[in-house]
Amino acid sequence: MSIISRAATRSNGQRRSYAALLVVPAAAWYVGFLVAPLVVLAIMSVGERSPNGGYLPALTLAQYANLTTRITPLTNTLGLAALNTVICLLVAFPVAYTLALKVRGSWKLVLVALVIVPFWTSFLIRTYAWMTLLGANGVPRILGWIGFGEIQLLNTPFAVSLGIVYNYLPLMILPIYVSLERLDRSFLEASRDLGAGPITTLRQIVLPLAAPGILSGIVLVLIPVMGEYLIPVLLGGGKTYFLGNALADLFLQSRNWPFGAALATVFVAGMTVVVAGYLAISRRLVRIGRESSLL
Amino acid sequence: MNGRDRVARLDAAAITRLAIEHRISRRHFLAGTGAGLGALALAACAPGAKPSGAALGDTLNLATWPNYHSQEVLDGFKTLTGVAINVGVYGSTEEMEAKIRAGNSGIDVVVPSNYAIEGWVADKLIEPIDYAQMADFVKADWNAAFMDQAFDPGNKYSIPKNWGTTGIAYRSSKVTEDVTTWKQFFEVAGTTYAGKSVIVDHQISSFGSAAVAMGYSLNTIDPIEMAAVEAMLTALKPKLYAISSDVQPPLRALDSWLTIAWTGDGVQVGRDTADARYVVAADGGELWIDSYTVAADAPHKAAAYAFLNYITQPKQAAAETEFCLFPHANDKATALLSAEVRDNPVIYPSAESLVNLEYAVNATYNSAARAEAWARIKASA
Repeated sequence: MSIISRAATRSNGQRRSYAALLVVPAAAWYVGFLVAPLVVLAIMSVGERSPNGGYLPALTLAQYANLTTRITPLTNTLGLAALNTVICLLVAFPVAYTLALKVRGSWKLVLVALVIVPFWTSFLIRTYAWMTLLGANGVPRILGWIGFGEIQLLNTPFAVSLGIVYNYLPLMILPIYVSLERLDRSFLEASRDLGAGPITTLRQIVLPLAAPGILSGIVLVLIPVMGEYLIPVLLGGGKTYFLGNALADLFLQSRNWPFGAALATVFVAGMTVVVAGYLAISRRLVRIGRESSLL
Repeated sequence: MNGRDRVARLDAAAITRLAIEHRISRRHFLAGTGAGLGALALAACAPGAKPSGAALGDTLNLATWPNYHSQEVLDGFKTLTGVAINVGVYGSTEEMEAKIRAGNSGIDVVVPSNYAIEGWVADKLIEPIDYAQMADFVKADWNAAFMDQAFDPGNKYSIPKNWGTTGIAYRSSKVTEDVTTWKQFFEVAGTTYAGKSVIVDHQISSFGSAAVAMGYSLNTIDPIEMAAVEAMLTALKPKLYAISSDVQPPLRALDSWLTIAWTGDGVQVGRDTADARYVVAADGGELWIDSYTVAADAPHKAAAYAFLNYITQPKQAAAETEFCLFPHANDKATALLSAEVRDNPVIYPSAESLVNLEYAVNATYNSAARAEAWARIKASA
């Protein structure tokens, strides 16, 4: 009896140390590639710009005090990221709904593949193509023929929004599609049998069940858009300025690393709040789902 | 930056696709996304491949500007020596500096603009040119006007690649007046040609030309003068078509009519569109020289000097100039040029038109206040 229990204890202990060993690579990964860079960033953000650019060790909050000069990129980023995420959602939901619940058979595969096809071409080339389309010899010329007069599309916030929605839409469609695809159709039939109209069914059955996908889509779109750099440069003409552009300028043009680090630190902190909010909401959704045993 | 964005996007796409194919639950799906972001972090940290070789070796890493070198000339070097040239393209001297300042960049030869060289010498980022390894280099062949400048007395550290001006380019079919000065440029850019004017995304060229327009030096770092220039450009920004160094596409498409431009832009658009004009402003502005320098930590020094010896020869220099259409400082090379290039007043402006121009100096380039003023202008509403 005592031998058995000792053996059991030993094997438990062994199992625990194996488990600890297995955690090492992942832990080293996170420390080396996530925590360490963030620490470097934080240290740099309290430093000073060296006379020839770069970083000079110091302990000052001057960089943070200077952040008010970057309010415009901040509001541009937050405003356009939120707006375009909402637009993506409004466009993506009907598409995902149709793909998941209306289209059948091999067509479905083809149409889902078509959503992904744009990713086969370089993002840069696709965005350059928009420059041609939106430039004076593109859509504005056609609008001119129709009689709209002279319209400037390129290098406007509109062009930046269009570029963002175009490039990020698949990232919104796919997770929503995945969640709707798994939706048990008998719920829809039951809802109809019980006398619910299409809108009630959408509100009470489809949307709650698609919520995890919608949330994933929002995060997949919102976070990379907040770090967007290229679209504002190419389609905004450097006039609709994002935080990503301000950061690139600080590191590459002004070579003011400490100020760039301070801006990046605040940016990372902001992103963390968004992700934490996402996790809190999704945890709540899972709990509600479990309680109503729908998920 | 752009590369990183794309990696993130592709990863997320690939993961989403996998999620669909394998009907992965949302929880796994998110874990997958996390892994994707981890891979992205690793990609960002992966060190560049280190080339190796003996004697001249087989590779040379050149950090230079877009569309600046004739591929035939570069290929000729490989035929001659067996050394293949890896061309790294940079949009600004600042980007080149970020790379070589970080160290271990693997870069052998860098082609910065004049204003950076003094600082690079002081910080030992580049080494004195070892002319002993350049048997065919003849200093007497070079135009004295572009040699032995204040930024590098005696060309101890640098040899000119090409030089040029920062001027005003416009389409005369739309811009009906003659734009001849920076003062005039900045007046009409925000009024008559509002929404049709472009300034380049470059502190020295744009901020400097604006300073000249207001009667200051291209190199001003006086706080009061800089504040005045900043106020003027901040007010102008909403009326511009773009702040972008990619000035040719909009000028060609008539998206823009009036723009700050560098010599090469003026020549190229001028060659393709009859109504394009390129003007060296009468009230001053920027004259610049890009120069070959050798990185202090260059891994292929022998190859670097063999390359400099080769590319500064009149024949190669002329071929490069025919390709990039910026003027060369080697008189023998200039003599070899086609009449079309040599007699083009945009490429080789008259000596009188250059009299008022200034070189940007290291203090301008390294001024934190001026860099920040320009960054604030770009970040303004």
